Amino acid sequence: MRALTAELSKLTSLLSFWVALATGLIVPTAIAALNSVSTRKEIDLGVETAVGIDMGYQELAFGVIGAIIIGVIAVSNEYFTESAESGGGRQITTSLIAVPSRLRFLLAKATAVALVSAVLASAAAVATMAAIRIVLGEHAPEMGSEAIPRLAGIVCYWVLTALLAFGITVLTRHGVIPLAILIVNTSVVTVTYLLTRLTSLAYYLPDMAGIRMFIRNLEDSTVEIAPLVGGLVMTAWVAALLIIAAIVFCRRDA
Amino acid sequence: MLTIHRLVKRRGSRAILSGVSFQARPGRVTGFLGPNGAGKSSTLRILLGLDSAASGEALINGVPYARLRNPLATVGALLDGSGAHRARTGRAHLNWIARSAGLPRSRVDEVLGIVGLTDAASKRVGSYSLGMGRRLGLAAALLGDPEILILDEPVNGLDPEGIRWIRTLVRERASTGRTVLLSSHLMGELAETVDDVIVINQGRIVADGTLAEVVGAHDTLEDAFFALTTQNGGVAP
Repeated sequence: MRALTAELSKLTSLLSFWVALATGLIVPTAIAALNSVSTRKEIDLGVETAVGIDMGYQELAFGVIGAIIIGVIAVSNEYFTESAESGGGRQITTSLIAVPSRLRFLLAKATAVALVSAVLASAAAVATMAAIRIVLGEHAPEMGSEAIPRLAGIVCYWVLTALLAFGITVLTRHGVIPLAILIVNTSVVTVTYLLTRLTSLAYYLPDMAGIRMFIRNLEDSTVEIAPLVGGLVMTAWVAALLIIAAIVFCRRDA
Repeated sequence: MLTIHRLVKRRGSRAILSGVSFQARPGRVTGFLGPNGAGKSSTLRILLGLDSAASGEALINGVPYARLRNPLATVGALLDGSGAHRARTGRAHLNWIARSAGLPRSRVDEVLGIVGLTDAASKRVGSYSLGMGRRLGLAAALLGDPEILILDEPVNGLDPEGIRWIRTLVRERASTGRTVLLSSHLMGELAETVDDVIVINQGRIVADGTLAEVVGAHDTLEDAFFALTTQNGGVAP
């Protein structure tokens, strides 16, 4: 518990953490608002009559970059090396002197990342859906009880993606590479999606399986995966990665 | 009490430590002396559970560091630099360490006062000078008011006033029955401060005893050191 509060204290005292929170909150909300404005125009012109089933969820799938940044910086800030003039120290030594059990340290850190990602995902989902409601008014998609598992899916997806970023950064000990790869894959070129053109096995990669938890209409998908199965597949990937990361971290010199 | 027993450490095919053994006793300041790359930092990192040894033991009051119940109340350690992330303020750095040990926030203000960083506590560590960073590292080491202090090159980057302050601090700690182990390559400084001296060279202990024993027939600790660590006694050919 002490190790967990220490980890939460570390995160919240970093400026980059607040940037990540703002990114996760503003990006999906803003994109959803913009998309809603153009949908509204089409409805008013009579071009479009109904709102897409994945309205809001697609934007939230994109907003996960906020959770990615949190997962990466939680680890990379430990390994940032001071300049030689400042003595060339790293925070990881201080951290492991304060919490000598490697497993307890890693568990506390992962829990802190999961907690803040869950809170961020919930806030982002509320803000995104509210933005759609405000812009579209009566045309906004109805939010009944069927939305609950999908919104829970969003929270799971963000938490699992943050832990994926966390596990990769434990292995690389450097933030730039995991941050670049994961953000590019989420936003600019979705490599994992392109891979599904080559083999349908790529639908079982962590992000492609994970989005099944809340995306209902995946474009020209040849493989059907139930939401729960998608979530379990992503969980299995993340669990395997975290186990490898923990073994490496416990054996390696700090 | 710190007990190092036959530590062996290799990096690749290179031997870093080849059977290092010594003790640091309560109520005494033990100086750990050696040229750069002799294995001082490696020994201290193994003692603190940061690095693993191929064989041998490094024990704190009879147990490995990782098994201490209250690590920060038992051992305070200062390694390279400040050990803090540059984007945090000095106070935020000490706050999270205090939380990890369940120490009150008032203790953070106390140690900031002890090391003379109260005025700089709200500044980011990235703006600190080397000396201020070392003071912050020392503040972290003193946070749990530990019975043992392990300091790696503590006077590096400190001004004369800071060096004098460290000397007074470690003497005070030892006089109240606590254990202090400090490494240095600055002979003159060490001779003024320590009770016992351990000399390490190329991963082996080459001298171990009280200051008087290690200096022996030599004029100064420096002369003794060069006689022990170089083949020609440090005299330029």
